Amino acid sequence: MTAAMPGFRLVTPRSLAEALAARAADPLARFLAGGTDLLPAMARGLVEPETLIDIGMIAELAGIAVDGDRLRIGAATTLARLQADALVARHAPVLASAAATVAGPQHRTAATVGGNLCLDTRCVFYNQSQWWRRANGFCLKREGTVCHVAPTGTRCHAAFSGDLAPAAMVLDASVEIAGPGGRRIAKLCELYRDDGAAPLCLGDEELLVALHVPAASGWIADYAKSRVRGAIDFPLAGVAVALRRSGDTLAGLRVALTGTGSRPFRLAGTDAEIGHGVDDAALERLDKLVQKQVSPMRSTMTPAHYRRRVAAALTRRLVRRLFAEAAQPPMRGGGATAPQSEMKP
Amino acid sequence: MTGSARDHAIGRRLPLIDGPEKVTGAARYTADIAAPDALVGRILRSPHAHAEIVEVDVAAARALPGVAAVVTGADCDQTYGVLPIAMNEYPLARGRVRYRGEPVAAVAAVDAATAERAIGLIRFTARELPAYFSADAARAPGATPLHAGSPNNIQREVHHEFGDVTAGFAAAKLVREATYRCAEVTHAHIEPHAALARWDGERGQLTLWTVSQVPYYVHLMLARCLGVAESRIRVVKPFVGGGFGARTETLNFELVAALLARAANGAVKVELSREETALTHRGRPETEVRLKLGMAENGRVTAAACEVVQRGGAYAGYGIVTVLYAGALLHAIYDIAAVRYDGYRVYTNTPPCGAMRGHGTVNVRHAFECLMDEMAEALGLDPFAVRRANLLAAPCTTPNGAIVNSCGLAECLDRVERASAWRERRRQPAPGRGLGMACSHYVSGAAKPVHWTGEPHAVVNLKLDFDGSVTLLTGAADIGQGSSTVLAQVAAEVLGIAVERIRVIANDSAVTPKDNGSYSSRVTFMVGNAALDAAQKLRRRLIEAAARLLDADPAIVECGDEVFRVPGGQHEGLAFDAVVRAALGEAGPITTSGSFTVPVAYQGGKQRGGAVGATMGYSYAAQVVEVAVDQETGAIAVERVWVAHDCGRALNPLSVEGQVQGSVWMGMGQALSEETRYEDGLPLAANLLDYRVPTIQESPPIDVQIVESVDPNGPFGAKEAGEGSLAGFMPALANAVADAIGVRFLELPITPDKVLEALAKRRRELRLAAARGAA
Repeated sequence: MTAAMPGFRLVTPRSLAEALAARAADPLARFLAGGTDLLPAMARGLVEPETLIDIGMIAELAGIAVDGDRLRIGAATTLARLQADALVARHAPVLASAAATVAGPQHRTAATVGGNLCLDTRCVFYNQSQWWRRANGFCLKREGTVCHVAPTGTRCHAAFSGDLAPAAMVLDASVEIAGPGGRRIAKLCELYRDDGAAPLCLGDEELLVALHVPAASGWIADYAKSRVRGAIDFPLAGVAVALRRSGDTLAGLRVALTGTGSRPFRLAGTDAEIGHGVDDAALERLDKLVQKQVSPMRSTMTPAHYRRRVAAALTRRLVRRLFAEAAQPPMRGGGATAPQSEMKP
Repeated sequence: MTGSARDHAIGRRLPLIDGPEKVTGAARYTADIAAPDALVGRILRSPHAHAEIVEVDVAAARALPGVAAVVTGADCDQTYGVLPIAMNEYPLARGRVRYRGEPVAAVAAVDAATAERAIGLIRFTARELPAYFSADAARAPGATPLHAGSPNNIQREVHHEFGDVTAGFAAAKLVREATYRCAEVTHAHIEPHAALARWDGERGQLTLWTVSQVPYYVHLMLARCLGVAESRIRVVKPFVGGGFGARTETLNFELVAALLARAANGAVKVELSREETALTHRGRPETEVRLKLGMAENGRVTAAACEVVQRGGAYAGYGIVTVLYAGALLHAIYDIAAVRYDGYRVYTNTPPCGAMRGHGTVNVRHAFECLMDEMAEALGLDPFAVRRANLLAAPCTTPNGAIVNSCGLAECLDRVERASAWRERRRQPAPGRGLGMACSHYVSGAAKPVHWTGEPHAVVNLKLDFDGSVTLLTGAADIGQGSSTVLAQVAAEVLGIAVERIRVIANDSAVTPKDNGSYSSRVTFMVGNAALDAAQKLRRRLIEAAARLLDADPAIVECGDEVFRVPGGQHEGLAFDAVVRAALGEAGPITTSGSFTVPVAYQGGKQRGGAVGATMGYSYAAQVVEVAVDQETGAIAVERVWVAHDCGRALNPLSVEGQVQGSVWMGMGQALSEETRYEDGLPLAANLLDYRVPTIQESPPIDVQIVESVDPNGPFGAKEAGEGSLAGFMPALANAVADAIGVRFLELPITPDKVLEALAKRRRELRLAAARGAA
């Protein structure tokens, strides 16, 4: 039912230290960037922060720069900027192509890199109004004890639905995290855990500061997304692939998936393909690998078995295409699938 | 009037006259109306699908500071409903709740937060009853009836048979039967529901601003439910952001707003969320269509037998009409002598269904056009040839008593066949690509109004005053479909004046004449004819004044381009303003009133319910859809669409094209992605993220061809344009998918998971067949 947006206090720190202090001072505070995920959740009573800490004014969280042999992307960078940025186009175009698939253009002018990487997991039994969830006896993710997706189980199966994470994972990206104890760097894969109710390995008082993308010479990558409509929708399954080709064989293959379980993840076992060509048998092996490792559940209107199948289909198609493109002479100046050049300041 | 060299107001590609307000954001919709003193209304909704109400304890809510009023079912013991013969709904539930989301109580408070707190303080106690979420479960033996008088939960059965169906099937070369299942869909109008009610306690008067398509019905139901004389009620319709049938019936929130305003003795604004708007529903029911057709070798349909089961939801609403339409519109598109129809409207514990664009015909037409296509293939006939073998010859009377005066379907077929290069493309199939086609039709206004009062079906008043402007007053609600524009064009055409000289007021019961409203595509035809009548009366007055000034016989005076003259005469002509001054000089401002009533002959056959589906003018459409099916992901892309629509005379071709394009979009939704779904009666997709209306990304190039059959009774020959194209889209798409991948889907929507499933199944079958062949 219609819910009035609950009242909250807004603070606008100018530095990271101020932001962290504000967070430490108020256990019911939440960081606010674009708000495209948080504000609708507040309107539905899914989160009830008393204080919102607007991190949009903090210089350290903004900007995209080449830093040594890596690209540093501030967490507060908008997806629209990521899509249009020249450095991203040159060094990590797969991030731009993944960003372009998020929601609609208006959302992307507000939504941020950090927000998309830390997107809350989603479920048809969870992303509903307070009235709806109460009528349904609430759920394991909030206020309830049963997961309606798998009532006999003990965990929450809400699905992670960010599009950027798999794209960054195949680039072997890391995240820079600030907290009361200082800074730490973690592999992006380590940011997530397979629990829809608590999907992030991020302390309450910690804040994602930046995404670090290492140089990836000779790799070529892209992202493919299954959704019902060409805009707005979250992924039913999203697949990022990065590969390196040497002659007629694969020299490197990384696959990461989103939308098919409570966390985005790197597909295990792809190294077995190194040294082989990409033929029907190889694609069939990859198909099986994907179908085995994804774990879609009944968390969307679209059936889980479809999400499993389409994740595999997109992987096959993307690997086939990128392997063929990798044989072409490198394109200069970008394109989502352009081979990535060496990063040197 | 037409045919002379002057500028014409009709036939012009005129942008909608209320377009500037909408484009600039100046338009004020109900929720935008400034009412600083208005309290905020909120509704407590049932969490139960089916339950006896034990208690609704509002004491704590009433005691909360800032709460001005709390109302419950105890505050209104009058039922309401769109059909006088089937009013079984209360504004706030009494005795029982029958679907999750049904209003139980409502609060008016100083602000939203207080109103929500008060809602949370209401103690609603109920005793659960067995609940049914499918027509089959509700009809099963031993099921608890939702309503007294409907022991099997069947609200209405219809059994109609015309001609000798048995003989028809016996004469057929091919007889086929198939069962089609169409998911429930909803209107998804962009403006959520809202109402503002102001009660004047001194005078005992109510004013209600609301989003209605038929403010007249709202007026009647307010009087009934509040026990207030109709003369003390005023209903105003501001700008409305779409309706598609959802707002034809009076809806509970409109009555609740009024009950709250009276209880609070002030103004109350009720704004529903998207979820609440979806719960209020009244969309197209989940439908099972079992269809059997007999076909001769040349494609002629020898007999049709159709059984329809509609999951109607918890209340009667429009249900009887929907199930009657589904049978009636088996007729009047093709020349079929033998037709049997068995329809069942079933009560279930889901939000009530109602009227939705193409009311009643859509799912049946889908089944019919799909089965026709399949049978054409089996007989080795082209889909166009099969339709051509069954064309009606207008004028004619159908077996069920409908009169068809004009029919441009043959030309529609020719146009889309040519435009799509059908013959060439069908000869050169491309992998994963397919072309499909289908036909459809619809009424230009239901011939008999549901509230039978004997009054004219439509009335338009025109007022001409000292400033030379013409004000057109109508009770027909412009809900975005452009009806006000078309009425202005009709009046301007008759008067020979610029459309810009006409101001349309639609509608406010204090000034606009009663009208049966915007439903069943009636406005252009019926209200257009009333506008024509009113304008002719005004024109006569002006011509008489001009004739006196010109010293000429009124019979030979003409008006065009705002000049009155005698054709071929010496006089250069009189300006409109001069004639207005002369005409007003006698008795002051001139008001004329025009009306229109559908003659009894057009009000359908003698069978029970025979009036439903009858109209004075049927529109016709044929369309071709081209799809590309991605066999790895199952995704269906609509590549191109060609639609030809026979709307009689196109009064505004731009507007006709817009309506046809809108029908294609709505059809794409039902065909590919839209469905409401309930989890034990809770809607899973009561938002625009999960209820997947196609976006502009999915929009194909749409080639609209206008066919002008020029109806003898429509205003300047016009018929409807807003609904007739819709029903053909889904079957044309399904037929295109069959052409592309050889799979005929019996369910809507055709989602990618169903496509992959079907392709996998076919691969398995082929492997099995190959294995058998090898053995």
